[in-house]
Amino acid sequence: MTDYILEVQNIHTFIGEFHILEGVTVQVPPGSITVLLGRNGAGKTTTLRSIIGLTPPRSGQIIFKGEVIQGRRAYHIARMGIGYVPENRIIFRDLTVAQNLQIAERQKGDLDRKADFIFTLFPDLKRLYTLPGGNLSGGQQQMLAVARALVPDNDLLLIDEPSEGLAPVIIEQMMEAIRQLSSHTTVLLVEQNFQVASRLAERYVIIEEGLSVHAGLIADLVQDRDLIKTYLGVA
Amino acid sequence: MMSMIERTIYANTQKIKDPTLRGLAESAARLVLENWAYLLFVIVLWRFPYIVADLTDTEVQPRRPTGDSVFWQSEMARALALTCLAMSYNLLFGFSGVISFGHALFFGAGGYVTFIVLNEYDASYQQGALIVVIGITLILALFSRMNVRQLLIIALIGVLLTLLLMPGEGTLSFYQAIGLAVVASIAVSLISGVVTLRLRGIYFAMFTLALAEMFWVLAKSGTFRDITGAEDGLGFRDILPESFNPTPTFDGSRLDMYRLTVVFFVIVFIAIRRYLNSPVGRVMIAIRENEERARTIGYNTFYYKVLTMTFAGVIATLSGLLFVIWATDKRVHPEALSLKYTVDPLLNSLIGGIGTLTGPVIATLGLSLGETYLRNETFTLDTGLFGILTVWQLAVVLVVGLVWWLFRRPLQTGLRRVVDMVRRDTARAATFASGTHGHWALILGYYGLVVLLLLAVGLVIGSEIAHNLEFKGDVYNVSDLWELFLGILFVVVVMALPHGIVGTWNTFWANRRVRRLEQSAQQSAPKGNNSAS
Amino acid sequence: MLTYFANLSPQHRRSWGLVVAYVALLLAVSYVDFGYNTAGQTAFRGILLGMLVFMVASGLSLIFGLLDVLNFAQGAFLLIGAYVGYDVYTSLDAGTTVRFLAAIVSGVVFVGVLGAIMETGLIRPLYDRPVFQIVLTFGLAAVLLDLVERYYGPDPKQPLDPPGFLDNNFTLFDQSLSYYRLFIIFLGLTMMVGVFLLLNRTRIGIIIRAGVQDSEMVQALGINVRLIFTLVFVLGAALAALGGIALVPYQGATLEMGNQFLILAIVVIVIGGMGSYEGTAIASIVVGLTRAVAEQLSLEHFDAPVLAETSILLLMIVVLLVQPSGLFGREE
Repeated sequence: MTDYILEVQNIHTFIGEFHILEGVTVQVPPGSITVLLGRNGAGKTTTLRSIIGLTPPRSGQIIFKGEVIQGRRAYHIARMGIGYVPENRIIFRDLTVAQNLQIAERQKGDLDRKADFIFTLFPDLKRLYTLPGGNLSGGQQQMLAVARALVPDNDLLLIDEPSEGLAPVIIEQMMEAIRQLSSHTTVLLVEQNFQVASRLAERYVIIEEGLSVHAGLIADLVQDRDLIKTYLGVA
Repeated sequence: MMSMIERTIYANTQKIKDPTLRGLAESAARLVLENWAYLLFVIVLWRFPYIVADLTDTEVQPRRPTGDSVFWQSEMARALALTCLAMSYNLLFGFSGVISFGHALFFGAGGYVTFIVLNEYDASYQQGALIVVIGITLILALFSRMNVRQLLIIALIGVLLTLLLMPGEGTLSFYQAIGLAVVASIAVSLISGVVTLRLRGIYFAMFTLALAEMFWVLAKSGTFRDITGAEDGLGFRDILPESFNPTPTFDGSRLDMYRLTVVFFVIVFIAIRRYLNSPVGRVMIAIRENEERARTIGYNTFYYKVLTMTFAGVIATLSGLLFVIWATDKRVHPEALSLKYTVDPLLNSLIGGIGTLTGPVIATLGLSLGETYLRNETFTLDTGLFGILTVWQLAVVLVVGLVWWLFRRPLQTGLRRVVDMVRRDTARAATFASGTHGHWALILGYYGLVVLLLLAVGLVIGSEIAHNLEFKGDVYNVSDLWELFLGILFVVVVMALPHGIVGTWNTFWANRRVRRLEQSAQQSAPKGNNSAS
Repeated sequence: MLTYFANLSPQHRRSWGLVVAYVALLLAVSYVDFGYNTAGQTAFRGILLGMLVFMVASGLSLIFGLLDVLNFAQGAFLLIGAYVGYDVYTSLDAGTTVRFLAAIVSGVVFVGVLGAIMETGLIRPLYDRPVFQIVLTFGLAAVLLDLVERYYGPDPKQPLDPPGFLDNNFTLFDQSLSYYRLFIIFLGLTMMVGVFLLLNRTRIGIIIRAGVQDSEMVQALGINVRLIFTLVFVLGAALAALGGIALVPYQGATLEMGNQFLILAIVVIVIGGMGSYEGTAIASIVVGLTRAVAEQLSLEHFDAPVLAETSILLLMIVVLLVQPSGLFGREE
């Protein structure tokens, strides 16, 4: 019935009494990189958190791999094959890099199977394997956060602002890594940096004040200066 | 748009010509019309001894044997003292969001400080005045912008003046001792506030708990028997001024003391209300809602919290003293410092409605007078209640209800699964499964069925157990099980009624009003559109 | 161990220095004041008390760290453990050793089940109302205390004979002591090391430590954090119950001891830093020693052992003023 791996249909999410998402629709075809664009506070992060179940939507539907997932507990949704890389690179500072990766295992041996893949993507992590996460630099922490989502077999990765606060060189490295891993899984990305987003993604969804207002192919968006100016404020 | 009260006032005061008089009449009318319930309540409280006397055909004045009216006077006075304690706790927890687990410290301090000053320590004017000087310095240290040197100079001047002017001998009077108790409670508030209120709330809760427990242990221990009287506590039968002596001396003073208690209660109520409506109180509520934001706006939240805490501490101290005066043996016991007098006001505030003015009053009066009323009642497990159930049957129903309610989440998931299954099966054949109504009817039906089933099973098993148990014929005292009842009530209120009785009541009416407004807005909205087009 | 000290942050290194200096000062004061033997006895008593406090405090600290709930009912768990243990110990018809083991198992299991019911039924629905969680545990502590009093009566229970295999005496610092006291210290150390290993070497331990930092993220990784919450709550309750049972042959069982140890445990986690395991372990011993030395001091100089109560509070005030996040806590 559907060709999409993830379908978010008109979800409404509240945080406390605040109506954050007022109807967001996102469709993610398998094997692609889709990016959520929009201004600060538009509801991009909340959309990702609603999908993974950390802020469950009050109405609307989320279908992942043909199954309705909204209302389920976050760990349950994650186990269905969704990896989440939160913003601000939340890694476990008291745990070593190795433990940060081990904790993401869903079956015993996940890490052993994936170690080579992870280390080819992020060679730095091999060197830092036994250090506490808190001692890592910002870029290294971001790599660890992405790597953590790669340990189990995920069909979909939700990545929130991977380039935020990183040096340009590191951003390049991160983009390269995301491009490589998108050949294995589907990626739904939140990205403020339009340059990064336009070079990385194939499809886009624009969210404006809790409402998804536009969606399509990023190649078309790059041509449409007016649209970019209206919603993203960059020329 | 004028409210009904305003309209009534306006209509009736128009006849008065003189503007000053009219203003007076208006405000008096407003006072009465807006607070008629409170006024009525105070009048009933004031007449309470006579009302009971009329109802039970006993004397207001104590005669031997003591009549019902006299008995209920004491009970009501004690309940009022506890009400003031609960109100002060509610001021702290409900209106300022500060969790203190050591409120009993202030409650107990009322009796202890007064008595230690009066009969044990035999303090002179000079010593008393010195303590006051220290207290004033502490207050200045906190609430003024003076530096250490200025403070020291003031303290020095105070001490010198005290030594020069105050006579060295002569003991303090009752009222002066009370003053010292208040100063002591202010000092304790300030010290514990300064140490912990800048930290996260949880530190304050832990610190106050530890502090109160420490004083409880000290008051209880035999080491300081000379000062605190250990388990026997301190008494003061002879020290109370003649005019306010509520001991059964069979003169008119007992009723005066009752009236004094009512007056104290009214003053505390008005003071708290006034405080909350003052600018300071507004800031306090803002701090409870969002302390970060209040601080960002520029309020020194620490100052307001300490101020409220001091205020609440003083009220608790005075109500503690009042409680001792009305205690049957006129003594303050270490128990007054124990956890009981922190848990009780907390419980009463919660049950009545945390953050409401009247909630603690209703809950405390209801619960403590109810306990007195039921104190001598006994029951067995077979005693019938309401003519339908017996006690053990009621217990079974309650337990089943509690279990159902505690584990409703997992049970609900299981139920929903069953409902889904049934719905899938009936989707083809039954017509009602197509609409959402059918879905809800099914869920409701299943819920009802499961509850009934649980009840039936519970009743059968419960009856078996009750019949086999030995203690079925035992006679129970209501007062023995009262604390247990309070505990269960507490858990139920915390879990299910977080706003308490009054809070839930208010929310219900507020919601209703909002719905009405929304409805009228919806009705008028299309008209407005039409007229615009 | 060496790597631990090498990786210490400057703040923690300073805290270690403070702790060592303070303990040395305590020992020096007691040596000068009481003489060699009494000082030794006092230190031994302090360590013993520290171990008992640790069993309550570690649960308090773990639960607070992971669940963000300050469990004021922890003292009640100790109390219930002690009374149930006492009940089983006196009512069974078997040898002392068997009875003692049965008391430990039954008390721990009983309190563990109680903790599980409390967490799932009462605390879990309140995660979005944290203030009420605190109020609830505090109220439950009072309710549980009342239930124990109703069921077992208000009179204190006398200390019981220690189990047979520990019912011998040894001499330390010129004082004849039961082996049972050594056993308590052994038990406390075992728990310390056991919980440390659990936290550092097992997958559950890693999840717990990760959850202390950000339980939401752990859940987003596909781990049922709520289940871990319950496990930790049960573990904390069981540790407290174990402490309570260990107390029975040593001090008997009184209604006051629940709150007594709760206060000590609160002081411990304030000093050690809320949620820090090493802090709890170190602070337990510090508090135990302080308490014992203060008791001895006030006994010898004022003939008023109650004054020791104030020493603990003073210690807490000093730490709160100097280092509000505790010696080994994270800066907030």
